[in-house]
Amino acid sequence: MPDILWPIKWAIEAILVAFHTLFSSIGFPAEAGLTWILSIIGLVVVVRSAMIPVFVRQIKSQRNMLVMQPELQALQKKFKGKTDPESRQKFAAEQMELYKKYKANPLSSCMPLLLQMPIFGGLFVVLNEAQKSAPGVGLLTQNLATLFANATVFGAKLSDNFNGNTNAKVMAAVLIILMTASQFITQRQIMAKNQNPAAMNSQYAQTQKIMLYVFPLIFAVSSFAFPLGVMWYWLASNFWTMVQQFVVIRNMPTPGSEAHKAREQRLAKKGKALTVEEIEQLPEPQKQQRAQPVSKTRAKKTR
Amino acid sequence: MTVLASVALMPRNTGILFLLGYRKFVSPLYGDVCRYHPSCSAYGLGQVQQRGLLVGSVLTLWRIARCNPFSNGGLDNVVLRNTWFQVNRLGFTEPKTKKGL
Repeated sequence: MPDILWPIKWAIEAILVAFHTLFSSIGFPAEAGLTWILSIIGLVVVVRSAMIPVFVRQIKSQRNMLVMQPELQALQKKFKGKTDPESRQKFAAEQMELYKKYKANPLSSCMPLLLQMPIFGGLFVVLNEAQKSAPGVGLLTQNLATLFANATVFGAKLSDNFNGNTNAKVMAAVLIILMTASQFITQRQIMAKNQNPAAMNSQYAQTQKIMLYVFPLIFAVSSFAFPLGVMWYWLASNFWTMVQQFVVIRNMPTPGSEAHKAREQRLAKKGKALTVEEIEQLPEPQKQQRAQPVSKTRAKKTR
Repeated sequence: MTVLASVALMPRNTGILFLLGYRKFVSPLYGDVCRYHPSCSAYGLGQVQQRGLLVGSVLTLWRIARCNPFSNGGLDNVVLRNTWFQVNRLGFTEPKTKKGL
């Protein structure tokens, strides 16, 4: 089988070795686990930074969402209370049309996410090979691979997994807890604050809620297969996502969501008015009209 | 005939199994991300069901490539073209039975 991961493996090794060389040259011991962990974190920083333009693009397209708010709200009103699959399908379809019309889409798209998977896979292979002190495909020489394979932090080998010694077990457990916590917080943030109410009750959101409680299990099981080095990558990446998400939800929330309301309140409190650009994009204020009192029987008819 | 058809449907059913598993267990980790309707995985499932593992996979990869931050997304439905097979309740394909017609 041809090695389709070869370019990814080569790039991962190059970045890892570059950081390792950097850290060693400023005085970190080359054989220390900490140096390797820092190198792995460096890899996360490089990978995730490279994806920032993608992220910025996404935020910009979210901005356009403000313009289409009135139409989106009308659409939500039209489908309000309709929970049968056909209506939901139709709602999703019409919403998409609307996004397209305004060239605004709050969704991040699939490709960047799936691109991360081979990187993760590549890292797994690189670390797994290094564990056997086998040289990599590129810059990770035999010498460096051996250093990597034997690097320890708090007595735990980076190439070990949950099957390793007690120290490795403890570190794996701690990493699992931290990973679960960060994933949990990220997911909760998105679900609780940044989803518009219409999306919140969908079947999808329900599944998502269940998955929230399945994470610890997934991480626990995977810790038997993944070396600690991979888990460190995973954790650092999770933390990056968490912080990035926090900043975005705080400053660029999905219009119509809880976070959006919170931001408006925050701005109002500070006495900071919205920027001219934002005011122009706001939907026209609805005419103030007192709601006529309606008898109970009539109220039911209109639902 | 039915046996032959079942064998012919095996590759796509393997793909379907994988996609169903992905949709059930991996997809929810990310939440709503797709810019298209139906989502990439739903589209992939539909295409593999309708066009088979090979063509379906290629179409799915092409769709994922199109689902990037620089595209506007929109509607992109799977064309139904099942002729000699049918999609059952679980999402797998099976030879068309007389009852199914």
